[in-house]
Amino acid sequence: MNVSPFKQFLSSLSQISRWHFEVWHADRTVFSSNANRSKLPICRDIREIAIKAISNGTFQYACSQGNYELFGTPIKNGEKVIGALISYAQICAKESEIVGIVSPKNSHAEKMEEFLFDMLRLMEDKWTTENEMEEITEELTRRFEDIYLYSNIATRIKSLRFSSSMLKDLVGELLGAMRTELAFAKLPTRRDFDTIITKKEIDNKILQPAAFVDALIDAIPKKAVTFKDNYFMIADSEKTPRFEALYPKSFRFLAVKIIHKEDFYGWLGLVSLNPEEIFRRSELKLMSSVAEQLAMVIANTTMYDDLECFVINVVKSLVYAIEAKDEYTRGHSERVNRYAMLMATRLQLDQTQSKSLHWASMLHDIGKIGIPETILNKPRTLTHSEYKIIKSHSEKGCDILKPLKQLSPSLPGVLHHHERYDGQGYPLGLKAEDIPMLGRIIAVADTFDAITSDRAYRPGKTEKEALEIMENLAGTQLDPKLVDVFNEVLKEDLGEVQNDK
Amino acid sequence: MGNNKKVLVVDDEAHIRRVIEVKLKKHGYQVITAINGKEGLNLIITQKPDVVISDIMMPEMDGEALCKKTNSLKKERSFLTIILTCRISSDEESWTADMQDTLFIEKPFSPSMLVECIDQYFGGSSK
Repeated sequence: MNVSPFKQFLSSLSQISRWHFEVWHADRTVFSSNANRSKLPICRDIREIAIKAISNGTFQYACSQGNYELFGTPIKNGEKVIGALISYAQICAKESEIVGIVSPKNSHAEKMEEFLFDMLRLMEDKWTTENEMEEITEELTRRFEDIYLYSNIATRIKSLRFSSSMLKDLVGELLGAMRTELAFAKLPTRRDFDTIITKKEIDNKILQPAAFVDALIDAIPKKAVTFKDNYFMIADSEKTPRFEALYPKSFRFLAVKIIHKEDFYGWLGLVSLNPEEIFRRSELKLMSSVAEQLAMVIANTTMYDDLECFVINVVKSLVYAIEAKDEYTRGHSERVNRYAMLMATRLQLDQTQSKSLHWASMLHDIGKIGIPETILNKPRTLTHSEYKIIKSHSEKGCDILKPLKQLSPSLPGVLHHHERYDGQGYPLGLKAEDIPMLGRIIAVADTFDAITSDRAYRPGKTEKEALEIMENLAGTQLDPKLVDVFNEVLKEDLGEVQNDK
Repeated sequence: MGNNKKVLVVDDEAHIRRVIEVKLKKHGYQVITAINGKEGLNLIITQKPDVVISDIMMPEMDGEALCKKTNSLKKERSFLTIILTCRISSDEESWTADMQDTLFIEKPFSPSMLVECIDQYFGGSSK
């Protein structure tokens, strides 16, 4: 009971009248306006009237020794009596001496009762307001936390593609914010993405969180009323069939469906072992909205992956279409791709570069689709103009792929795979390091495959012979450093790792 | 638990002052409040708080002016300044470059994280 707002008021009141005031909470004084109270002869009487007012819950009046008049008024919080307001004064012989609001002339019990009740009502109003204020502040603080969490999660979801690390961050964030002991994301179709995070202190209580979460999900009934709002919640596991045996103590469990339109991806859930904490509506709302956003991200990512896959497959079939025209080049693109990727690993290209190289090497000859078959498969030496047409395939390939945004980082590899290190190549005649890395790598892989493949006019050379020929091309046609790299990776690949030292 | 350190909260918005005040008091801090930079500055000089939490956009004297004025005071007596900001912009970075013991917390902020920050400054945890 907070009496501080009234201390001032009651003290002032006792200064301008002869009345003193006390506030009792249960069986003790929490405030007294009289500093010399302990010297009074009526201490026992005060106590008596206070206890009476509190236990009976009614207004009390008494006259005691030394001509003291005492009043006790119960202080209520709703229906419950939580204390008493006591007032007392010595009744004077001379009525004129009395100043202040409380006049002894009217010091009948009724008057005093009326006054005290009015005052109490004021106090109670103030107390209620204070209590409400406290509750509001507490709620406001929780809202602050919610908003912070919302904005944090929103930026997290927006800025990242769906991945296991993103999911881990997200679930960790939920665990921290929701005052629970365990949080999880469970995706039955993508088990590699399953994420369970527990507070450290309970690791030894739930021995196997993964098995526990599996059991929880199994225990969710197939039909639940709340499924129309996409969630399932139990407030006390001990009172819920199918859940009571899962854990030795009572726990609370909330699971929200990760669902986008008709596609169900899994569950986002929380487990709380603290019986004091209940799930609040705002938490359910937050979980639902997080699950909704997560579902959207998964759907988008899946769609994006599908789309990318589709585009790539279309393009791949184009490659097969060209290669089908010429039995000598069948499988060429895939072999060049394999050699190029072997080099990429050795060169420690990062993931993005590697991916670009992958598609560039796969598609480097796509421009040949625009070259007449008669020229492409001509067994005899090409005329000058025919050769010019053949040479246009790198630019044509680049033009064909340009509209595919996903492939734009690969274009330099396609355009420049016939540049020569000495600047004598095409289409631009770039020199040495001016030639994009992708182009230089593909040139090496392409040359090797050309030498080792059968042609209409000659059989293919062996790998060893090809490597020797390429040594001679290093520095003129090919990047010497990359020839060395290729030499190494190919020998390793052929199982001929040489420890030359 | 706070060690009875004194924290000044400067913000023109009553609900933000209230939330921070109650949260900090629960963690054992003494809290005083001001509704603008001018009032805040007076309290910094007279009450010598250990931490000043200030909003930026305020009438009379804003958070930037308050920071600049109090930075020189820190030579004699160090205290932590926490700026509550909507977004950390390059503009803010420029004027805070030479501010001592100044921390930024982005709005919307988490009251419990704010307390953790202050606990950490005094070298303890909230537990």
